[in-house]
Amino acid sequence: MTRRVAVTGIGVVAPGGAGTAAFWDLLSQGRTATRGITLFDPVGLRSRIAAECDFDPYAHGLPPELSEHNDRYVQFAAVAAGEAVRDSGLDTAAENPWRVGVSLGSAVGGTTRLEHDYVLVSEGGRRWDVDHRAADPKLHLAFAPSTLAAVVAERFGARGPVQTVSTGCTSGLDAVGYAFHTIEEGRADVVIAGASDSPISPITMACFDAIKATSPDNDDPEHASKPFDDRRNGFVMGEGAAVLVLEEYEHARARDAHIYCEISGYATYGNAYHMTGLTGEGLEMARAIDTALDQARLDPTAIDYVNAHGSGTRQNDRHETAAVKRSLGHHAYDTPMSSIKSMVGHSLGAIGAIEVAACVLALKHQVVPPTANYEIPDPECDLDYVPRTARPRKLRNVLSVGSGFGGFQSAVLLTGPGGRTP
Amino acid sequence: MITTGLTFVELAALMKQSAGVTVDPAELEEAPEAPFSGLGVDSLGLLGIVGELENRHGVALPPDAERCKTPAEFVALVNNTLAGV
Amino acid sequence: MSTQRPRRAVVTGIGVIAPNGLRTDAYWKSVREGLGVLGRITREGCEHLPLKVAGQVEGFDASALIDERFLVQTDRFTHYAMAAAALALDDAGLAHEGGVEDPFSVGVVTAAGSGGGEFGQRELQKLWGQGSKFVGPYQSIAWFYAASTGQISIRHGFKGPCGVVASDEAGGLDALAHAARAVRRGTGAMVAGAAEAPLAPYSMVCQLGYPELSTVDDPDRAYRPFTAKACGFVPAEGGAMLLVEDEARALDRGATVRATVAGHGATFTGASRWKESREGLAQAVRVALDEAGCAPEEIDVVFPDALGVPEADRAEALALADVLGAHATRVPVTAPKTGYGRAYCGASVLDTAAAVLAMEHGLVPPTPHVYDIDCDLDVVMSRARPAELRTALVLSRGLMGSNAALVVRRGGGLAR
Repeated sequence: MTRRVAVTGIGVVAPGGAGTAAFWDLLSQGRTATRGITLFDPVGLRSRIAAECDFDPYAHGLPPELSEHNDRYVQFAAVAAGEAVRDSGLDTAAENPWRVGVSLGSAVGGTTRLEHDYVLVSEGGRRWDVDHRAADPKLHLAFAPSTLAAVVAERFGARGPVQTVSTGCTSGLDAVGYAFHTIEEGRADVVIAGASDSPISPITMACFDAIKATSPDNDDPEHASKPFDDRRNGFVMGEGAAVLVLEEYEHARARDAHIYCEISGYATYGNAYHMTGLTGEGLEMARAIDTALDQARLDPTAIDYVNAHGSGTRQNDRHETAAVKRSLGHHAYDTPMSSIKSMVGHSLGAIGAIEVAACVLALKHQVVPPTANYEIPDPECDLDYVPRTARPRKLRNVLSVGSGFGGFQSAVLLTGPGGRTP
Repeated sequence: MITTGLTFVELAALMKQSAGVTVDPAELEEAPEAPFSGLGVDSLGLLGIVGELENRHGVALPPDAERCKTPAEFVALVNNTLAGV
Repeated sequence: MSTQRPRRAVVTGIGVIAPNGLRTDAYWKSVREGLGVLGRITREGCEHLPLKVAGQVEGFDASALIDERFLVQTDRFTHYAMAAAALALDDAGLAHEGGVEDPFSVGVVTAAGSGGGEFGQRELQKLWGQGSKFVGPYQSIAWFYAASTGQISIRHGFKGPCGVVASDEAGGLDALAHAARAVRRGTGAMVAGAAEAPLAPYSMVCQLGYPELSTVDDPDRAYRPFTAKACGFVPAEGGAMLLVEDEARALDRGATVRATVAGHGATFTGASRWKESREGLAQAVRVALDEAGCAPEEIDVVFPDALGVPEADRAEALALADVLGAHATRVPVTAPKTGYGRAYCGASVLDTAAAVLAMEHGLVPPTPHVYDIDCDLDVVMSRARPAELRTALVLSRGLMGSNAALVVRRGGGLAR
């Protein structure tokens, strides 16, 4: 007997406006939220643009201890989880707490706060033997990556399996995938799952500068993120969070919950190739897609939309195009495939969850979000990337894929009503 | 060639410092066409070497400097840039 | 396919990089003898900090155990993880070239609680001291929590499921359970475990806020759980990696099946709420026993969390009593880590390695530095105690509030 996994709640904090409604409005309108960095002075950097969230923790009603001692990425997650739980209608106090889990991803965790306090204790980078007396006594909350899942578990009374997942830029997909497995295997009935990152800080921007992974189009930030376009020249940093309430299907039905869709398949593999490099073949991502399809007992032709990683680096978009063609065969040419990173940037570990949320909303609205800024085709990227304008379409099975530093290649499959073969 | 040019001895030192790879300068000099990949220097390693040279000399190397396949190609490119060619 | 018996996840290789021993045999020798290796922290830039004592890995030779280029390319926590992984693969007979036919049949999962802090501090110093152009390209792959899984996967060509739980201490057991589940779902083998390197100046400053940290500067008195003198825990670096493999596959290739990962449970009861960890730990143990199909009386030895905070130690003893009943006062309990410290996520993987070795040797190792037990547990002290050990229970709690339990059985299904 297989336990099925339903999505019953969504919460999003994304560039362009907090909340699921604002997020979908941005995507369906094809607007971009990329701009010059305002969170710090980016002078001297090669890439000085990002997709930032206009976010005030107090406006969202977060308690002072969360607003003051926790990093921005934890606040994003707390707000997104709050929206998701409200949306699901779940009465967390009435649940058996041991059967409620949390699975949240983050690629870089508390690095923004760690950097901020490092400057204080090192006299601006002059001392290796840093001075502890200048440090915030709660700095361990930024140091411990599990703070993310712990804070959210605490807020919603989850006492089951609680974990933080950190697989670089596939963290969000994997956190959803781990949650899916947790429910499927019977270790929990409800898992609050998603991801969050707030990496727009000097050290993270500088380290991507050093490998020329980010776009240097500082003069035209609105059009800087150009996935699949022949002019693409790197990703644009982003930040944000998305959280879903995942629930065992019968558990959701028993309480008459609104079920958006199901998570029907998930897989991840390593490319065992290079920490940052990708092969031209996309073999491992294709394998992740194939395994997810197998799990859902679906034929590749059942895929109606591919939500791409589409970071906008030269190598990624080719790698991914190759992978999708390998798995979907000729059907790849008939399947729309878009990258929302064109609009909300690349928020590292968070983006996988934000993209899964976009897939849930695409299924809900039966609309494929576009790839903004797509103008000039690259001969090596020859699929239907849904240029600039959202497209209504009958959607039943939707795939989200991602790649991460370290070689991670992940795929999450979502199935809406009527999409499952009996 | 101007005196500030990059030598194989310096390149070997940079490979050690920036990519962690130990290579005998004499070996580089003898077989300058042997690819970086065979020596264990990947694209990140070469990016580190490029960054170090740019910081030392205060000049920008061409955008694709880290794509050089061999020490010979790289040394020529660096020295042409430093010489203002 | 559905008629086949369920796949069982077994341990076929162990690799250890610990303060009390590089390589598994050296580690076991120190553990068996109850050697205490806690000492003054000697890393550059740490001398002035109020945290004086830790378990440091000494004599780690990167060029012999990994490759010297990784000293430039990645952080110490990954050096340890890569070395431990290579040792585990060697131990399992999979280290040779072409040792794995299908690269997708082996995956990697690590737990990480502190990341590449030393590397990160160096790059932060370059950024803030000299400018953004001085940040090197390896920062993008060395500081983050996923570095060790990625490097191990690449080095050995493993393309199976790759994962990372960025966790508190309990994450080490979660990673082993994650591996066991991946094996049960169909992956041939998983390299699984954790190694940490939290002893760099800024990382240490970050840890000072943990109220559970021991700042006693006498290495013999700094970490004494279950005693009236308990004053917190002593951090350590290092860790262990295990090869967790499908039993049938292991037997097919003639590997020695050393232990079975039989059951796991994980719960959450909130950071530093140690009193409530009693309930959380008890529930984790129940879930783990249930998954293992194991009765409480079958537990032959317990490797407890042993935090060294009186309230937490009490909660742990009570949790054992809650689940094991009268058996809790009879079963031998040992915490070898009092001899070398708690290496965050690495600590519970080291405990699991020690549990497997203890079962193999029929010997419960002692708990160094601990005398005059202040609770109702049979803590093994002073010297190792011979015993027939078939099933071990490993417990772990994290400073951010996670609890985990792992049931490990000696040998495989055929050996029992």
